[in-house]
Amino acid sequence: MSGSTTHPTSAAVHAPADLGLPDLDTPRSQVLLAIADDALVTGHRAAHWTGVAPTLEEDLAFATIAQDGVNHADLWYQVLVGEDHPQRQAAVDALGLGRAPSGYRHAVLCEHEPRDFAFTLARHWVTTELEAVRLDALATSPDGAVAALAAKLRHELRYHLEHAALWVDRLVADEDAHDRFRTSLEVVLPEVAGFLEPVADEEAPDAQRVLAGGHRGLRAALHDRLATRLGSSGDGELVGLLEAVAPAGLGGRAGRHGPAFTEDVWPELTALYRADPSARW
Amino acid sequence: MSAPDVAEVRRAVAAVADPELPPVTIGMLGMVHDLAVAADGRVEVVLLPTYTGCPATEMIARDVVSALDGVTGVTGVRVRFTFDPPWSADRIDDAGRRRLREFGITPPGGTVTGAARPEGRPTLPLAELPGDAASRAPRPCPYCGSTDTVLDSPFGPTPCRDVRSCHSCRQPFEAFKA
Repeated sequence: MSGSTTHPTSAAVHAPADLGLPDLDTPRSQVLLAIADDALVTGHRAAHWTGVAPTLEEDLAFATIAQDGVNHADLWYQVLVGEDHPQRQAAVDALGLGRAPSGYRHAVLCEHEPRDFAFTLARHWVTTELEAVRLDALATSPDGAVAALAAKLRHELRYHLEHAALWVDRLVADEDAHDRFRTSLEVVLPEVAGFLEPVADEEAPDAQRVLAGGHRGLRAALHDRLATRLGSSGDGELVGLLEAVAPAGLGGRAGRHGPAFTEDVWPELTALYRADPSARW
Repeated sequence: MSAPDVAEVRRAVAAVADPELPPVTIGMLGMVHDLAVAADGRVEVVLLPTYTGCPATEMIARDVVSALDGVTGVTGVRVRFTFDPPWSADRIDDAGRRRLREFGITPPGGTVTGAARPEGRPTLPLAELPGDAASRAPRPCPYCGSTDTVLDSPFGPTPCRDVRSCHSCRQPFEAFKA
């Protein structure tokens, strides 16, 4: 059975029909959408803290992380659209903003409300580590556009990694903060399985050419990175939670999203585009 | 109509100002990777974005197009961005480094001797963490030249800049990310 019959289509249903968009239901498109959509939704959620973060530094930090996420998504959509598309920016907008909620392929972990700052930082740390591991793999792609973009993003992600790691250091140094961080990790870690789920037909050669080994192949490297840090702050037992698959965190790669996305992120993110696909801002 | 003068095209492109750092041009920043002028007057410019999250790239592309508008013989302009090769801070030329410093922004690179931190000086919590990662390497203060400086936040007013402060002249400043 092909992916397009077992999974909801990613076609940009809210976009003008004559844009000449690539087929979004191919294995290559699906894996690129997963990468781009993770960044888009993570960026959108990070923007929550603009103006209301606990400190000015964090306001700037999450505003930048938000801007980076949305821009990184834009660049991955550009890879998907192709360099020579005559209406490249309109096509990118159609991909990012023109799909039905079930057409998005991000992990459910990315779409949750930011909740409190402890949850925000726990998810930020884990998803940034996930992104680093995936970019490392993408940087070895034989597809030149994929490899060059991944290498550039991986270089810049150092700032996100350092920022997240600084917060882990700070949180585990204080008893109350450490407790709250741990409680949040107990929610976040079992949902990592949803990030590592493959998109439809991810084993197909054209998807493997983008991400060799697929999302499942990232698991070992991710475990190593997280286990090392958790172990050093006496939280080694939390590593086991990566095996404790939380069903609520699964399904994002197949377009199954919770109300946090379908009733919150998606309507807000796409409202202007759905009202006027040609709007510029 | 005769083909445009390649040197003139090159000068016009290199002179386009960075929209967020107007004293610095895209030529000084080393963003111009390649430039081709066809016999029929069409120009293709390939630029290296300094930072992928940069919202100014679209503006830069527009500014390149309008800068070439006034060059005799140019019949069309196409601006492309590429990450291959990736832009890096060592592409900034000496004039660019000088202008950045005058603007209160320290470029990466240069010699850092690392003076001792004065006793009892408070630091922001994010600044005093271990490690020797690239972003935490000390940068000389663009105002007084002291190397007794500290990274306050890896995220600044634009995606490509971070926020630091000088213990010597007590001036906060920005640094271009490496």
